[in-house]
Amino acid sequence: MRYEIVDGPDGPTLMLRDQLTFADRDAFDAVIAKLLARHSKSVGVDLAGLDYMDSAGLGMLLTLRDRADRERADVKLLRPKGEVRELLVLACFDSLFPIQQG
Amino acid sequence: MGASPGFGEHPDQSRATRVLIVDDERMNRQLLAAGLRGGGYETAMAADGVEAWDALDRDPFGFDVILLDRRMPRMDGMELLVKVKADPRLADIPVVMQTAYASAEDVAAGVEAGVFYYLAKPLDRRLMLSVVAAAVEVRLRLNRLKGDLGRQATALTLLERGSFRFRTLAEANTLAVALAQVCPRSTMAVVGLSEIFTNAIEHGNLALSNQDKARLIAEGGWTKEIEARLDAPQFRDKMVSVEFERTEAEIRILVRDQGEGFNWRAHLDFDPARAFAAFGRGIAMARRLCFDALDYRDPGNEVVCVQRRGGEAAAPMVPPPDVAVIPAEAGRDSEDIRLARAMQSELLPQPELLARIRWSTGLAVTGFHESSSDLGGDLWGVDLLDEHRVALWLADFSGHGVTAALNVFRLHALISNLDDLRGRPGSFLGELNRRLEDVLPVGQYATMLYGILDVRARQFTYAAAAAPAPVKVALDDLGSLVGDGSGLPLGVAAGGAYGERKMAFLPGDLLFMASDALAESPDEGGTRIGGGGVVDLVRGTVAGGAINVDGVLAPFLATVRRPLHDDLTAICCLWPK
Repeated sequence: MRYEIVDGPDGPTLMLRDQLTFADRDAFDAVIAKLLARHSKSVGVDLAGLDYMDSAGLGMLLTLRDRADRERADVKLLRPKGEVRELLVLACFDSLFPIQQG
Repeated sequence: MGASPGFGEHPDQSRATRVLIVDDERMNRQLLAAGLRGGGYETAMAADGVEAWDALDRDPFGFDVILLDRRMPRMDGMELLVKVKADPRLADIPVVMQTAYASAEDVAAGVEAGVFYYLAKPLDRRLMLSVVAAAVEVRLRLNRLKGDLGRQATALTLLERGSFRFRTLAEANTLAVALAQVCPRSTMAVVGLSEIFTNAIEHGNLALSNQDKARLIAEGGWTKEIEARLDAPQFRDKMVSVEFERTEAEIRILVRDQGEGFNWRAHLDFDPARAFAAFGRGIAMARRLCFDALDYRDPGNEVVCVQRRGGEAAAPMVPPPDVAVIPAEAGRDSEDIRLARAMQSELLPQPELLARIRWSTGLAVTGFHESSSDLGGDLWGVDLLDEHRVALWLADFSGHGVTAALNVFRLHALISNLDDLRGRPGSFLGELNRRLEDVLPVGQYATMLYGILDVRARQFTYAAAAAPAPVKVALDDLGSLVGDGSGLPLGVAAGGAYGERKMAFLPGDLLFMASDALAESPDEGGTRIGGGGVVDLVRGTVAGGAINVDGVLAPFLATVRRPLHDDLTAICCLWPK
């Protein structure tokens, strides 16, 4: 996983790149803490640069959603592509997150 | 030879490796044959020792491994073993004994009589394949060494005293052959020296455990791993040094590696407990059969091998090791994981149930489960609801390790309590989701496919929770249909609802489902086969012949990168015409 956090007027956006897999779980935990330390009402996760995500990656998104929820922040998923988009469709994640295609 | 030969690839390439299966129960024979064929082996079968002996006597060079049941009518396993080991044409064929129960004395007697390995019944398919692969490997190595012995004539036979150093396995074998020629009993010396030299490199300098070795040989990555380690900066300067000394009475060969030593006391004798481990018995073998004495010095990275002139009879008694048995150093974790894995596989459907389903409904169900290097979270099951309906399901928990394994047990328990919903896939998954949502921590979930095959309604009705799609292929025209696996994963949101989907299922159709490891595990080149690749695998099987789960998976298993990073589970259901 490579990532970057971009702060915008509506809150931070996490730009994910390459892959999000089981091996990234500790790193992703640290990223969640950084994101939520902004105390924003809304957090975006931009998936446009993400080529591959496994089932553990889905679990990490769920963890982010839950932790954000406790801080009363919403999580939006942005611009999923290819296999990542197919995985989100397979798992019906559109019923759990607002997903902005693009 | 390729970088990672498959299980059944015969290293001399002249023919496929052939296993003789000797078992008096037909079903056992067929299961073993299916497992071995899935691993790329050729098989032949015999129903007892007499039949097996006929086959061996007729074609003494036709078999590479014998998989032998212990208890059989007419001629039992031990009797056949003794005959095989007494026949020079057959003596070096490795014999793997399979037995439901064996006392420590039985095992010791078998090992003394030349059993390569004991497999406990019921057999674990993966372990069986790894043992057979190990048996083939060991036999070939010894044959090569014995062959070299006759070919190398050297001035070393005049050697009185000398020092040698080596680094690689090739150098080790060259030196073993050369020094063995100086020894009173060369044939045994070459086997023993090769074992001790190999240990010094693999387990000493390169710090690989016996478990690593068993796993890597099973997966076909052993040679590569050795080469990689020999090149690695922390290992590449490590040498094994050898001091040779000849006196009137004996030959002494001191071998010293630069590793950290090991618990050598636990390896000196044949330990019945280790008869069930693929490696780690070479030292006991070398000590008993190859040398008059084998004296280790603490911490275990130094050993003196002794052959005395005049043979064993003239040799004074070897003093027994001066220490009571110290427990082997196998990590507690790996033992726990092994146990958990065994318990997990006990949750899987037994052959008797599959036979009953075949008998009642005509449906031939076969399943496959291989757990990943650490533990994974897969489980599959099948249930005979009545004489025309069979429930099939496959679940996969996110994550790995002990958490995933515990979740598997949790799921198994929950499913056992949902008897009244078994006939309704949608409600079944809905209820399971409610219960899992209560107990699973955030971020953990399961994907699942639950479906019912009804041979009267000629229909497959299923519900799915983010599972890989089920695939149906018709035997006649290879027409395929890919179902829909989408749905909320189980345990994520309390209100999840799961609709029922249907597809027609007729005689001559094959239904296949697998966990996501099939589509998602990369091969050696890093490519994943994806959903489309799964359909191709199923169609390829139907076109090719052996129509069962092993047949579908064989091409995939031959190329996937090992160890698997995730549990792989698959179910195949054929309705023969």
